[in-house]
Amino acid sequence: MKILIADDSRVMRQIVTRTLRQAGFGGNDLVEAADGQEAYDTIKSEKPDLVLSDWNMPHMTGVEVLRAIRRDGIETPFGFITSEGTEQMREIAASAGALFLIVKPFTADHFRDALEPILG
Amino acid sequence: MSAHITGTHPEAGVGDVSDAVFISVEDLFEITQQVWESFLNPTGDPTAGQLHPPSSTTRADEVSAAVAVTGAWRGHIVVSCSMAAAREISALLLEVPLPEVSESDVADALGELANIIGGNVKGLLPGPCALSLPYLVVGNSENVRWPAATVESRLLADWHDEPIVVTVLNGTRDEDERKITA
Repeated sequence: MKILIADDSRVMRQIVTRTLRQAGFGGNDLVEAADGQEAYDTIKSEKPDLVLSDWNMPHMTGVEVLRAIRRDGIETPFGFITSEGTEQMREIAASAGALFLIVKPFTADHFRDALEPILG
Repeated sequence: MSAHITGTHPEAGVGDVSDAVFISVEDLFEITQQVWESFLNPTGDPTAGQLHPPSSTTRADEVSAAVAVTGAWRGHIVVSCSMAAAREISALLLEVPLPEVSESDVADALGELANIIGGNVKGLLPGPCALSLPYLVVGNSENVRWPAATVESRLLADWHDEPIVVTVLNGTRDEDERKITA
């Protein structure tokens, strides 16, 4: 399985990578994007099986990326990893087609709960 | 709350947004400890991220990362530490050897901690509010001023024998005072 990690912070991409490993998903192929536009382009070119995306990113926000790929007919499972988790954000994420929203700080348990139904 | 921390917050009545204290030292400790336990534990052992009572005489404010809050409540959430702590945090988060940590790594790592703590603090504030991108300030507090803001609460703790300080600065209160005196 291929997982795209989209976040403009290199530190956060590394934390997500480490947490995937701790949650038992380290054997998957990981690709990264450093902003929203790169995430959109990478989804089209790399065709990942799952996208883990930040909410706020330069060029395109995570929600804009999700809406854009859905408009293109791409149904890749998509989840957000954000520093805020308000009800409004959860509603926006769900209505755009996100499967989950993980709020920072997170643990390997949070990743297992959210990702196991998708990655098995 | 753990007895392992100390902190301060000024007395304030509970009235409108400008008077109320929304973020206590206990709140700051809970949020900060959770961030440290979750992310500063390379072996997956939460005790590695344990915060301890402040004891170090090392300056805690050599480097700070902050996020600004705008909206119904206005102010800043500031994470400060020694440069040694900032470099160690960066090395742990990026999983690189300490000598390889660059200045931009420190800005990214400390900024991300400020962003996460700020996001959690924002959840306790009256809304609607928006959070800025994090920004880094290098220098001790005698040379760094936060205009139009007063300390609402401040957490002092030690981590790996280095001081960590998390401060909530309230700019809403000061703005209202200036309106009254204008």
